[in-house]
Amino acid sequence: MNGLVMGAIYALSAAGVSLVAGVMRVINFSHGEFYILGAYFSYYFSVSLGLNPVLAAVVAMGFLFLIGLFIERTLIRSTYGQPMQSMIITFILSIVLQNIALISFGPYPKKPPAFSEDSVHFIGDFNYGIQRLIAGSSSLFLFCLFYLFIKKTRFGLKIRAVAQDPQMAEAVGIHSKRIRLVSFGLAVALAGAAGVVLSPTFPVVPTSGEPLTLSAFVVIVFGGMGSIRGCLMGGLLLGLAENFGSAYISTMYSQVFGFILLIGIILFRPTGIYGNKI
Amino acid sequence: MATKSKRSIKWLIGISIALAALLLPKFASDYGIHIAIISLFYVLMSSSWNLVAGFTGQVSFAHAAFAAIGAYASSLMAIHYNLPIPLTIVFGTCIAGTLGHVLGRLCLPLGGTYLSLVTLSFAEILRIVITNEDQWTRGTMGLQVPGIFRDYSKTKYYLLFLAITVFAVLGLNLLIRSRMGLRFRAVMDDEIAAASVGVHTTNIRVLAFTLSSLIAGLAGALYGHYAMLISPDIGSLAQMFLILAMTMIGGLGSIEGPIFGAILLEVLSEQIRSFGEYHLLVFGVISLLIVRFAPQGLAGLLRRQRWKLF
Repeated sequence: MNGLVMGAIYALSAAGVSLVAGVMRVINFSHGEFYILGAYFSYYFSVSLGLNPVLAAVVAMGFLFLIGLFIERTLIRSTYGQPMQSMIITFILSIVLQNIALISFGPYPKKPPAFSEDSVHFIGDFNYGIQRLIAGSSSLFLFCLFYLFIKKTRFGLKIRAVAQDPQMAEAVGIHSKRIRLVSFGLAVALAGAAGVVLSPTFPVVPTSGEPLTLSAFVVIVFGGMGSIRGCLMGGLLLGLAENFGSAYISTMYSQVFGFILLIGIILFRPTGIYGNKI
Repeated sequence: MATKSKRSIKWLIGISIALAALLLPKFASDYGIHIAIISLFYVLMSSSWNLVAGFTGQVSFAHAAFAAIGAYASSLMAIHYNLPIPLTIVFGTCIAGTLGHVLGRLCLPLGGTYLSLVTLSFAEILRIVITNEDQWTRGTMGLQVPGIFRDYSKTKYYLLFLAITVFAVLGLNLLIRSRMGLRFRAVMDDEIAAASVGVHTTNIRVLAFTLSSLIAGLAGALYGHYAMLISPDIGSLAQMFLILAMTMIGGLGSIEGPIFGAILLEVLSEQIRSFGEYHLLVFGVISLLIVRFAPQGLAGLLRRQRWKLF
C-alpha cells in the first residue's frame, strides 16, 4: 500500500525530469530544489497569508511556472546541444537554490496545514493516514492530467513533435524555442506540484530536494528517458522496491535500493523498459 | 617575435612562484599554513576533476565521494590494522581508483549522461552508508585519524602536500601534452571522428575517469591524515560543488585554471566565513555567471589578453 502511494509520488516527481530530458535533452539536476520551493511557497501562502490550502497550492504552482520560464530563458537556453554544460549549470543551480532556501526559510522542517489529519481503518488493525492517501491519489490525478495533456491536446502534440525531431517540427511550423520554454516551465511547475502535494506528509528542509532528484533519475532511467508511461511504471516499481526493501532488510537504506536498481537497469537493460536512451 | 623575452618572463614568474611557495612556512602563521595546505588539497581535487570534465568532456559528481573513500579506507586500515600510514594511503588511493574504474566501466559505454546520473547517486549513497555504519566510521561524529608524522608540524605537512601536488600537476600536464592527452581531447571534441581513426573511445574515457578518481582518493587520504578528524562531509555534494566551482571559475580545460581557482576560492571562503555561511551561495552565483558568460573561466579571460602562463 505504502509502496503504491510512494510509487505514484515518484512517478509525479519524475514526470518533470522526463519531460525536460525528452524535449530538451537536458538532465535537470535542480528538479528536487523546485520541489522544495513548491513546498515552501504553498507553506507561505497558506500559513502566512492565510489562503485556503488548495488555492495556495495553485498559486504556488503558477509562481513556479514563471520561475521555470525565467530560468530557461536566462540559463538553460544557451546550453542546448551541450549536455555537459547543462548538467553543470543545473547542478550549480541546485546548490544556489538550496542555499537561498536555507537563508530565507531556515534549516527547520516546514509543513503546510494538512488537508486532513484522520486515518482510515482497513481490515483489522491496519491504519493508513488519509493525508498520505490524499498525497498518493492527487499525485496520480496530476500525473494522469499531465499524461492526457501530452497525449491528447494540440500543445502536447507539438511537445512530442519537438521531442522526436526538432528540425522536422520546425519545418512544419512549430516554434520549437517556445515549446521548450513552456516545457521547462511546465516541468518546474510539476516539481512544485509534487512539493505542494507531499509537504503536508513529508515536511521539507532545504536539503530534502536531493533524494527526490535521485529517485527521479532512477525512475527515468528505468522507464526510458522521455517516456511518460515509463515514468509511471518506474515510479511504481521504485516505490514497491523501496517499501519491500525497508520492510525486510533495513529502513535506513531505502535509498540504497534505488541505487541498486539503477545499477541493475544499466547492466541489463540500459534503454529502460520503453526503449529510450539519450 | 617576442618569444625570447616572453619565455624569460615566464621563467621568472615560475621561479618566483616556486620560491614563494617554498618560503611560505617561514613567514606565514599557523593559520596561514593551514589555509595553504587546504588550498593544495583543493588544487589536487580540482585539477584531477578537470582531467575528466575539461579534457574528456564528462561530468563526475562523485569526485568528493572518491576523496571520502580514500580518506576512510586509509584511516580505517591505519586504525584497525596498525599499518604504517604511507602504506594505508596507497591502499586508500587504490580503493578509490578501483571503484572509479568499476563505475566508469559500467556507465561510460552508455555515455557521459549516465556517468553523471550514477556518480551523483553513488555519492549520496556513500554518504548515507558512512553516516549509518557508525560502528565502523563513527558516522557524523567524525572518525579520529592518526597523523602521518610522529611530531605534529604544519610545515612538514605543507611541504608534503606541496611536493605531491606539484608532482601530480606536472604529471597531469605531461599526460595532457602526450599522445594520450590528444586522444582525450579527440574523444571530447568529436567522438565519432576519434573512433574512426582508431581511438577506443570508451577505454580512453574509463582511463581518464579512473586516473582522476585515483588522484581524488590520494588527496582525500592525505587530507584525512592531516585533519586527523574526518566526517561524511568530505564526500558531500556541497564539497563536490566547491570543486566544480573552483574548476569552472578558474577555467575548465586548462592546466592553470583549476590551480588558480582552487587557491582563490579557498582563500575567499575563509574571508567570507567571518560573515556567516554564505560562501556556497556567493560561489554558486559567481560560477553560474562564469559558465553562462565566460565558459573558459578566468584562465580563458586572461588568455584572451594573450597572457598564457604555462
